[in-house]
Amino acid sequence: MERSKQLLNNKTFLIHFVLIVGSVAMVLPFLWMILTSLKTYAESIHVPPVIIPEDFQWGNYKEVFGLLPFFEFMYNTFIVTILRTAGQLFLCSLAAYAFARIEFPGRNILFMLALSVLMVPGQVFLLPQYMIMVKLGWLNTLQAVIVPGLFSAFGTFLLRQFFMGLPKELEEAARLDGCNHFQIYWKIMLPLAKPGLVALGIFTTLWSWNELMWPMIVNSSPESMTLSVGLSSLQGQYLTNYPILMAGSFLAILPMLILFIILQKQFIEGIAVTGGK
Amino acid sequence: MKELPLEVEVKANQKFKVSNLAKTRKRSDYFWAYLMITPLMLGLVIFYLWPIIQTFYFSFTEWGAFGQYEWTGLDNYKRMLEDTNLLKSFKNTAIYIIFTVPIGIFLSILIAVLLNQNIKGKSVYRTLYFLPVITMPAAIAMVWKWLYNSDYGLLNYLLSLIGIKGPQWVSDPKIALYSIIVVAIWSGIGYNMVIFLSGLQGIPKTYYEAAEMDGAGPIRVFFKITLPLLSPVIFFVSIMSLIGAFQVFDLIFMMIGKSSTALENTQSIVYLFYQHAFVLNDKGYAAAIAVLLLAVILIITAIQMVLQKKWVHYD
Amino acid sequence: MKKWLLLLLTVIFGLIGLAGCSDSDTTSGNTKDEKVEITYGFWDKKQVPAIEEIVKLFNEENPNIKVKTELTPYGQYFQKLETAATGGALPDVMWMNGAHVEQYAEGKVILPLSELAKQDNFSLDNYPESLIDLYTVDGKVYGIPKDFDTTGLWYNKKIFDEAGVPYPDETWDWDKLKEAAEKLTNKDKGIWGYAALMGNQGGYYDFIWQNGGYIISEDGKSVGFDKPEAIEALKYNISFIKEGLSPTQAQMTETAASELFASGKIAMMFDGPWMVPEYKQNPDLDVAVVPKGKQRAVAIHGLSNVIAANTKHKDAAWKFVQFLGSKEAAEVFAKTGTVIPAYNGTQEAWIQAVPTLNLQAYIDGVEYSVPLPSVKSTGEIWQYETDVLKKAWSEEESVEDAVKELTKKANEALSKK
Repeated sequence: MERSKQLLNNKTFLIHFVLIVGSVAMVLPFLWMILTSLKTYAESIHVPPVIIPEDFQWGNYKEVFGLLPFFEFMYNTFIVTILRTAGQLFLCSLAAYAFARIEFPGRNILFMLALSVLMVPGQVFLLPQYMIMVKLGWLNTLQAVIVPGLFSAFGTFLLRQFFMGLPKELEEAARLDGCNHFQIYWKIMLPLAKPGLVALGIFTTLWSWNELMWPMIVNSSPESMTLSVGLSSLQGQYLTNYPILMAGSFLAILPMLILFIILQKQFIEGIAVTGGK
Repeated sequence: MKELPLEVEVKANQKFKVSNLAKTRKRSDYFWAYLMITPLMLGLVIFYLWPIIQTFYFSFTEWGAFGQYEWTGLDNYKRMLEDTNLLKSFKNTAIYIIFTVPIGIFLSILIAVLLNQNIKGKSVYRTLYFLPVITMPAAIAMVWKWLYNSDYGLLNYLLSLIGIKGPQWVSDPKIALYSIIVVAIWSGIGYNMVIFLSGLQGIPKTYYEAAEMDGAGPIRVFFKITLPLLSPVIFFVSIMSLIGAFQVFDLIFMMIGKSSTALENTQSIVYLFYQHAFVLNDKGYAAAIAVLLLAVILIITAIQMVLQKKWVHYD
Repeated sequence: MKKWLLLLLTVIFGLIGLAGCSDSDTTSGNTKDEKVEITYGFWDKKQVPAIEEIVKLFNEENPNIKVKTELTPYGQYFQKLETAATGGALPDVMWMNGAHVEQYAEGKVILPLSELAKQDNFSLDNYPESLIDLYTVDGKVYGIPKDFDTTGLWYNKKIFDEAGVPYPDETWDWDKLKEAAEKLTNKDKGIWGYAALMGNQGGYYDFIWQNGGYIISEDGKSVGFDKPEAIEALKYNISFIKEGLSPTQAQMTETAASELFASGKIAMMFDGPWMVPEYKQNPDLDVAVVPKGKQRAVAIHGLSNVIAANTKHKDAAWKFVQFLGSKEAAEVFAKTGTVIPAYNGTQEAWIQAVPTLNLQAYIDGVEYSVPLPSVKSTGEIWQYETDVLKKAWSEEESVEDAVKELTKKANEALSKK
C-alpha cells in the first residue's frame, strides 16, 4: 500500500517534471519577446544579455505606432477575420445542410467536386486568384483579402459531418408543421450544430488572423494591410532592431491572445472538433 | 360488407395523395437544395476550381514584364529537369517533413498522454502548450530569429553558460533548416496535442480497467491499447501535418533573409513558388511548380491511404 | 433571424458594391475645383518627415490635390511595383532608381516627361547632367532627379581615441584602412574594426573602380568581375572578414551592420548620406571620404520621381513631380539633412544642415565619382551578384570560382535582348 502510493507520487512527480520543462520551452519565447520589446537597442545587444531592462522603454511601442498605422492594421485584420468567419459559417453551413439532409440529383458529384478542392494545395489557386483580383481592380483593397476566403470546402465537409449525425425525426416533425428547408436549417439544425459552427468559426478566425502570403500578394498599401503583412514590412524597415520588432510582434499577437484567454475552452474544443471528426 | 370497399377506396385515395405529395415535396426539395448550395459552389468554382484549370494552362506559358504571357508548350517542365534550385527545394522540404511530422506527432502524443493522467493543473498546462497555436507565424518567426541570433541571442548565451559556443543557428547553411524545424515543431505541438487529447478521451475506460486486471504495466498498456485505439486519429493528424508541412513558407520567409548564406539550403518548394511567381515575375514557371507540388501531394496521400490499411485500426 | 441573414447578405454584396464605388469616384478627377487624391510611393522611412513637409508646402499652393504617401520597404518595393503595374494599381507618383528605369520605360508603365517639361517650361538644366542621363531612355526623360548620393567612410571617434588611432582623412588608402581596422578591432569588447559589407554601391563596385577595374565594358556586352583588378578588389574586401576584423557575412545578415555601427560595436564602415539622420544621433560618429586605391573612385547614383503611365490624375501628378523637383523642395531635403538634393546649388544648404558632421566628404566625392552602371538587365545582374558573391563572402567558395560563375551568368543576361 505504502509502496504503491510512493510509486504513484514518483510517477506524478515525473509527469509534472516533463510537463513543466515543456511549458517553460513554450512560454520562454513569449517572455523574451516582451522583455526585449522594453529594452533600448544597446541593452538588446549587450553581452551578457540584460534580462530585465533598466528602464522600461514604452517608447518602442510608440515608435511602432508612429511609423506604421498599427491601429489601422488591427482594424483591417478584425474586419477581414470577422467577415471571413461570418461568411464562411453561413455559406458552408447552408450548403452542408443541403448536402447532408436533402436528396437531390447530382448531390454526390457536386459534393465530390467541392471536396476535390481540399486535396489541392493552396498555391495551385494562388496565381489565378491573383489574376482575378487584378482584373476586378481589387488590388490594395480589403475585399481582395476577404472574398476568396468566404468559400471553404473544408468548412462544408466539417459541417456536413455534423448535420449527418443529427436524428431524422427532428426534421420530419418540422416538415409536418409545414416548415420549408431553409426554416428547418435555420431554426432546428443550426442550433444543434453549434459545436461544429464554433469549431469552424475558431478555425477560420485563427487562419484569417495569421495568414501571410495571400494578403501580402494582393495588398501593398498600408491602408489595407493586415497585421501579418505589417509585421513583415516592419522587419523590412527595421532590419534587425529587435526591441522595435518585438514590440510590433507583441502588438500583433495581443488581440488574439486576449480572445484566447477569454474563450479558452471554445478554442481548445473547437480545434479538437476540427481534427477529431 | 359495404364498409370494405369504402376502406379500400380511402386507402387508394390516400396512396394517391401521398405519391402526389411526395412529388411536390421532392420538387421543393430540389429547389431548396440547389438554392442552398449555389452560393458556395459558385464561389468554389470561381475562386478554386477554375483556378486549378488556369494554373495548368499557365504552366505552359512564359511571362514577360507587366502581365503579358505567351504559350511555350513544355518549356517550363523541361526547365525543371535542369533546375538545381528546384531539386534542392524538394530536398529541403523532404528533410523538413521527415523531421517535423514524426517528431511533432511523437511529442504531441507524449504530452497528450501525460495530460490525460489524473494530475493537477491540467488546464494550465494545456493553455500554455496551446499558446503558439494562436500566435501568428510571422511573429513566431521574428522572436525565434532573435533567440537564435548568434551574437546576441538568448540561446547562445545560455549555451555559453555551460561552456558551449553556440553555432549560427539561422545563417549556417548546414544548421539553418534544422533550426526552422525546431520552431515548426514547437509551434505545432499544441494543435496536435489537443486533437490527440480528445482522441484519448474517446477510449473507453473499460479497456484500461481490463488491462489493469491483467496486470499490464503502463508501457504495455500504451502500446497494446492506447496506440492501436488512437491510430485513426494518428492517421488523420499525420495526413494533415504532411500536407501542411509540404506548404511551409511563412517561417522561412520571415526567418531567412534574401542575402542569407543559408537561403539555398532552406528554401522550400512553396518559397520557390512565391519567389518565381511574385518576385522574379516568372509566373509560368511558378505555375509549373504548383502543378508539380499538386502531383507530389496527391501521390503521397494515395500512398498513405494504401499503407494505412496495415496499421490503422477501426472498430 | 431574418435580420441577421439580411445583414450578412448586405455585407457580402456591399463588398462587391464597394469595389464599384471606388472605381466611379476616381473617374471624376480633373476638374479644377474638385479635390483629387494622388498617391506617392517611396521606400525610405527616414525621409518621411521631409516628404510630409514638402507635401504641406505643396498643398499651400495646390489645396485641391491631396497627396497620400505610401511607404514600402526597399526589399519589397520593386516587387510591389511590378505587381501593382500588372494590376494597373501603381501609385500616381513614385520613386525610381537607375537599375529599373529602362525596364519600366520600355514596358510603358511610366510616363515620358520631356514634352510635359517643354510645355510648362520646366528646366532640366537645374540638375547634374549625369543624373538626367541616367533617366533618359531612347532620348526621352522619364524621371525628374530628386537627390544623389555618393559614399563616405563613417567612423566612431570614441573607438579611435581609445585605440589611439588618428581619424581617417583624404590621405588614407587601402593599406591604411586595413592597418587601422587591425588596431581598432577589440575582441574582448566585441568591437570590430570595419564592416566588410556585401554591397555593390558603396562596397565592391567602389573598390573595383579604385583598383582600375570595371563593372560593365564600354560596349555593354560583358562584365569585368573576372578581371584581375576586380578579383584583387574583392579579395581585399573579403580579407577583413577572413582576418576577423569584420563581422562575418552571417553575422551581418543576423544583425545589421548599420545598427551595430550606430551602437558602437563597429569602428568604421562605408555608408551613404541617407544614413545621416540616423547616425547624427550618436555624437561619436563622423564621416570622411572613402580611402583611395590605385586611384580615387566612388559610386554615384541618384533617385528620381516618375509618373505612372495609367495615372488618372496626370495633371495633378505632374504638378506634384514639378514641385518635388523644385528648389523649394530641394531645400527642405537639404535642411533636414536627409539626402543630398539634386537641384544645383542646394547642396551647400545640405552640408550646413548638420554642422557637427563633415558632410563635405560626400560632395568631395562627386569630382571623381563613377555613375552606377545602368542597363536593361541591371536588376537581373544585381540578383546574380547577391546569389553568387554571398558564397565568396561566407568563404564557402573561392573568389576566383565565384566570379567565374557570376561573369558567366551576368554575360548571359547582357546578351539577352
